[in-house]
Amino acid sequence: MTEVLNLIFTQNFLTRALVVGILVSLCSSLLGVSLVLKRFSMIGDGLSHVAFGAMAIACAANVAPLYFALPIVIFAAFLLLKMNESGKMKGDAAIALISTGALAVGVMATSLTTGMNIDIYNYMFGSILTMTDSDVIISTVLSAIVISLFIIFYNEIFAVTFDESFAKATGTPTSLYNMLISALTAVTIVVGMRMMGALLISSLIIFPTVTSMKVCKSFRRVIISGALISVFCFVSGLVLSVKYEAPTGASVVCFNIYLFAAVSAFKALKSRNKPRAKVLSVISALLFSLIYIVVMVFGTSGIYNRDSDRISVVTTAFAQYDFARNIVGDKGEVTMLLSPGEESHTYEPTPSDIMKIKECDVFVYGGGESEKWAEVILESVSEEIKTVKMMEAVELFEESHEEEGHEHTANHSEVEYDEHVWTSPYNAVTITEEISKAVIEADRANEAYYKDNTEEYISKLKELDDNFMNTVKNSTYGTIIIGDRFPLRYLTERYGLEYFSAFPGCSAQAEANPVTVSSLIDKVKADSIPVVFKVDLSTGKVAETISAATGAEVLTLYSCHTVSAEDFNNGTGYIELMERNLKGISAALN
Amino acid sequence: MPLISCKNVNLSYENNSVIENLNFCVNEGDYLCIVGENGSGKSTLIKSILGLKETSSGHLHMENGLSRKEIGYLPQQTTAQKDFPASVNEVVLSGCVSRKRKSFFFTSKEKAMAVENMKKLDILELKNKCYRELSGGQQQRVLLARALCAGKKMLLLDEPVTGLDPIVTMDMYNLIRKINKELGVTIIMVSHDLHSAVAYADHILHLNKTGSFFGTVVEYLASDTYRKFGGEI
Repeated sequence: MTEVLNLIFTQNFLTRALVVGILVSLCSSLLGVSLVLKRFSMIGDGLSHVAFGAMAIACAANVAPLYFALPIVIFAAFLLLKMNESGKMKGDAAIALISTGALAVGVMATSLTTGMNIDIYNYMFGSILTMTDSDVIISTVLSAIVISLFIIFYNEIFAVTFDESFAKATGTPTSLYNMLISALTAVTIVVGMRMMGALLISSLIIFPTVTSMKVCKSFRRVIISGALISVFCFVSGLVLSVKYEAPTGASVVCFNIYLFAAVSAFKALKSRNKPRAKVLSVISALLFSLIYIVVMVFGTSGIYNRDSDRISVVTTAFAQYDFARNIVGDKGEVTMLLSPGEESHTYEPTPSDIMKIKECDVFVYGGGESEKWAEVILESVSEEIKTVKMMEAVELFEESHEEEGHEHTANHSEVEYDEHVWTSPYNAVTITEEISKAVIEADRANEAYYKDNTEEYISKLKELDDNFMNTVKNSTYGTIIIGDRFPLRYLTERYGLEYFSAFPGCSAQAEANPVTVSSLIDKVKADSIPVVFKVDLSTGKVAETISAATGAEVLTLYSCHTVSAEDFNNGTGYIELMERNLKGISAALN
Repeated sequence: MPLISCKNVNLSYENNSVIENLNFCVNEGDYLCIVGENGSGKSTLIKSILGLKETSSGHLHMENGLSRKEIGYLPQQTTAQKDFPASVNEVVLSGCVSRKRKSFFFTSKEKAMAVENMKKLDILELKNKCYRELSGGQQQRVLLARALCAGKKMLLLDEPVTGLDPIVTMDMYNLIRKINKELGVTIIMVSHDLHSAVAYADHILHLNKTGSFFGTVVEYLASDTYRKFGGEI
């Protein structure tokens, strides 16, 4: 426990999370009381979907999401209010309309542009640990505004919440205060989304109020205890997430549920008309507290502690992990942040992961869209850490956004580059050399050993490169069909292969375009291509559809971005995976 | 001295005309009961008097310097209030919200006024009790105290005895009469209970689509309207 608290107060990224989290918890619990009592609980949920839609559009249009979403969500809040007041539509139906509408627009915007990228994923599930300084400043200012307006207009808010028709009849401008409550809710939702995510933020509004309403008998006490409950659950959730590597947003919500259950049990037992009701209720309260203390204080923590003096190399994804471990051998530790089998595009660093980066000697990362968080963390690490950014080491191709994967310059204001640079063995050589340089700089003592390892590994990579060259040169066809997304562009470019894929680039889109799929089926049929590929760790549904329509065999291509748990445990490396690719491609081309 | 005058007023609800050519006036110290069948426009009229709703045509005005700030209102209870966690003191004080203008929070003057009104309605000992845990009659008293905080000259009561048992209903009527006679507060009450209306009020406004009746109780008892509808409400 003390270790965790120490970490929270000494590590910049955790202190920021603590400050913003407490402020957002306060705002949401204050407004929650009014919303729950006015039977507007779902408004938070509706607005969070609107905020999500707005953020998705902002990401697509490349504008600052927070500034873009704020006016839109406030507008949506007013719109909901007006729809409700005019009585033309029932509140729940209006909320459902607006929230699903906004969600659909957001999904459209994402799918037509970048695909489901890490930013959008973050706004869905929250990402409290990778907040930037400007995020913190904006959140703090907005929260301060919400809290002070709430306190200033406390009496009016009570009057409007308790009995709107009375307040209106006696001359209180109720629609003004309703607009105030809506606007404050909108601001809270937008600020809170960064930390809790669109899917969880509304629980922060509802839970503390509902829990404190169970025990408190006056409005003021509900507000104060709601605020305390909210802050308590947030801090507990943060500590839990640091201690056990759990996602912060979900941990906070779990504590809210836990407290709600505890209070409900206590109250239910106490109000029974039986002897010993009071004793039982006290026992239940003690039991809940005991479990809390055991979990928070005594549980074994998963926090990373660097305990060795040997060189420590931390990498994000699998390919660079394998390169590094071939260089370092048994002279140090190589850590991969992505768990085997984990989807790289939705990866979210845990506090421990951030500690690993902060305490390592060499950090190797790709530097693409899906690893934006790495840049945020690197801003706050010491200069002594050697970093290797793979995308800086090799020649880049722009990411393809065109279906069927032909060369095409995306008309974006900012060009996105394909980040899967390691997929060509030729690039792998360059990257290995870069990593080797960094490792040697960090640990001169074992220079000769690392140099030998590097040379040996590079010779294997070069052999692999030659094999690919020869296979493609001696093949019948020159085209491969991928019924999946396509992360292996550097590979095909290197060997002059033509490819057609179901999804452009590497976006994790849910649905393939039917026109693209049918054109792929036509192509396979026309040229009687024997193999259609899927990519490892995908469901391969599109590839199977094409296979069912054409009789072509489904084979797997390995991106080496991540690796299945089974392969990881068997010690399978980049070279083995690439040899499987070679075999598959050879079958497809002949 | 008339406080409210209503001349040739037409009212409509969702574009359907509900009241046509309505004429009445309320003098200071009056106790007026508004009766009529469901849908005859009682609530619509109350809203129009309070200025929450526009009249379609005609003249409906507060007279002699009466303003909305001096009218206390007892609306029908909403479902949301049934589980609302608020203390009696908080509810009564909220009647003062429209009075305070200069300061953000309640002044000691407003707090004293709330205490005084709770005393008048015999609920001072409930001050720190939770509103949702009170009986129906106690809740109505709390809301009356709040209404008195909002306005001293006139009270508008929208079916104040709905859901109360007979004994509490009697108490409530006596209380309202006391407020009218002893505190000199003008009362306008919407009621379903014609017998009590006739027993307690001094004026009756009977709303009816084909022609409303307005007059004193004695006049009302002698009228065609009473003979025709009296038994049915």
